[in-house]
Amino acid sequence: MTMRILTAVVRTIRNSRRLAAGLIILGVMVLLALFSPLIVNAIGNGKDPIEVAAYEKWLVPGPGHLLGTDQFGRDVFAMVMKALSVSLQIGAIAGIISTVVGVIVAFVAGYKGGWIDGILSTFTGILLVIPTFPLLIALSAYAKNVTLFQVGVMISIFAWPFAAKTIRSQVLSLRTRPYVDLARVSKARDLEIIVTELLPNLLPFIGVGFASSALGAIFGLVGLEVIGLGPGGVVDLGQIIYNAITTGALTLGAWPMFVVPIVLLTLLFAALNMVNIGLEEVYNPRLRGVAGE
Amino acid sequence: MKSELELRGVQQRFHARGVADGYITAVDDVSFSLAASPPQIISLVGQSGSGKSTIARNVLGLQKPTAGSVLYGGKDIFKLSRAEYDEYRRDVQPVFQDPYAIFNPFYRVDRVLWKAVQKFKLASTRAAGLELIEESLRAVRLEPENVLGRYPHQLSGGQRQRIMLARVHMLRPSFIIADEPVSMLDAQVRRHFLDILLDFQTEHGMTTLFITHDLSTVYYLGGEVMVITKGQIVERGPVSTVMHEPSHPYTKLLLDSIPQPDPDQRWTTRIAVDELERVDDANPADTMKPEAPIL
Repeated sequence: MTMRILTAVVRTIRNSRRLAAGLIILGVMVLLALFSPLIVNAIGNGKDPIEVAAYEKWLVPGPGHLLGTDQFGRDVFAMVMKALSVSLQIGAIAGIISTVVGVIVAFVAGYKGGWIDGILSTFTGILLVIPTFPLLIALSAYAKNVTLFQVGVMISIFAWPFAAKTIRSQVLSLRTRPYVDLARVSKARDLEIIVTELLPNLLPFIGVGFASSALGAIFGLVGLEVIGLGPGGVVDLGQIIYNAITTGALTLGAWPMFVVPIVLLTLLFAALNMVNIGLEEVYNPRLRGVAGE
Repeated sequence: MKSELELRGVQQRFHARGVADGYITAVDDVSFSLAASPPQIISLVGQSGSGKSTIARNVLGLQKPTAGSVLYGGKDIFKLSRAEYDEYRRDVQPVFQDPYAIFNPFYRVDRVLWKAVQKFKLASTRAAGLELIEESLRAVRLEPENVLGRYPHQLSGGQRQRIMLARVHMLRPSFIIADEPVSMLDAQVRRHFLDILLDFQTEHGMTTLFITHDLSTVYYLGGEVMVITKGQIVERGPVSTVMHEPSHPYTKLLLDSIPQPDPDQRWTTRIAVDELERVDDANPADTMKPEAPIL
């Protein structure tokens, strides 16, 4: 079973250059984020480079400080590394929570049908049309000293309905397949049918759901931070952009403070979108070229 | 093994939009019974949308009828105890129409056979299970080494459909519910498939409910036949009687619709679609069920 999934994954990646490119960019960023404590340590050379007044303020990029320092004399390169890891963690937390919730809701609604589906679909529909951003602003006003995990949970409240909606429609189409009937006359129970017959065929959709909710979460938080309304205590890439804007960093020659986070975010966006499109291309044959297997 | 499967006044309605009373009636007061001994083949013939596949789903317990009941050994199949349910599941098995969709594309074809071994505890060891699977594959004239370990898309339609027959062969149910099993096979493979069904009847004593729209396969199988249109059974009897002296206009129309592989017997007239509709409307009396059940 595990081997089967692994070979399927490898085959999928081989089939789409877009998917491969997206995964490579994403992989490099995740590696950078994973090793960010080491990188920060190496930059600090024994002391904390993100401490206030660690160095002189507003140093221009140079050999000592690749991306210069900010208004408090903190090393920008170290800050960016740390913020990247925070942004990715937010994405991962919110992505996992909303995918799990979305998948469970979608399977229960799609497979059970009837009034259960009615209630769950109405609920997801309501959450889907609520304007998320103003609500997040309001929520973050109450959340001054929150942990990373709490922010993730906050954002995923609004991120799961999208995944639930797309997966539910797939479940609806899959549950009437003859192989589900065959499983039923072979005495398979509902949960067994969902896990062994339906779930494997929905892996690409679940992957897409995860990627888009992670993306939504990262950019949701960046959006809040950039306008200065982010929850306190969480320093992500948006926070650095906010600092650059409010201190006029660009006019002081500290352009990396503004440019580098934006480049990283753009790359992340491009990578996750390439993964999304790549997965859809591989699993939706109508988007594929004529070449078959 | 319980020896009778009976439908009593089964009615199946579905919600539908744009219909006068908000429902369409797919199956309308259908009653018949299948006996396990002597083993027999009973065909259920009707056009698309006549309700024949819905009957198959009712009999297999995949769809609960809106009225009436399906009885197995005299008990309603939706009210069976655990042990009775297990016995019913083992004893009533399907062969479905689409030999491709019946396999989950994610798994190798062996899986449906292994699932049957596991779920119905056919063998206690893996070796015994494999032996059983290979024996059943040979019984449907498949070479185990040619099909085991393959994915569904690597096999032909005939091979896939015969794997479903191998599954039935392993389970040895008293009743096979075959819903259009040959409609997606070509003529030669079709004949082969029907021969295996006939073998199952004579060698393993299986009774088959053979659902089809194709009267020529019914003629080949012989036995009894029921003709269904608009959810009602309008004619039933031995194949030879129904074929030679059809009493219901719909049966006559159906018989006229069999193409003959003979250049001198080419169709010269055309059947308009609304002619099919008119048959019932013009002769309301004819839609009444025959007095005596055939069994």
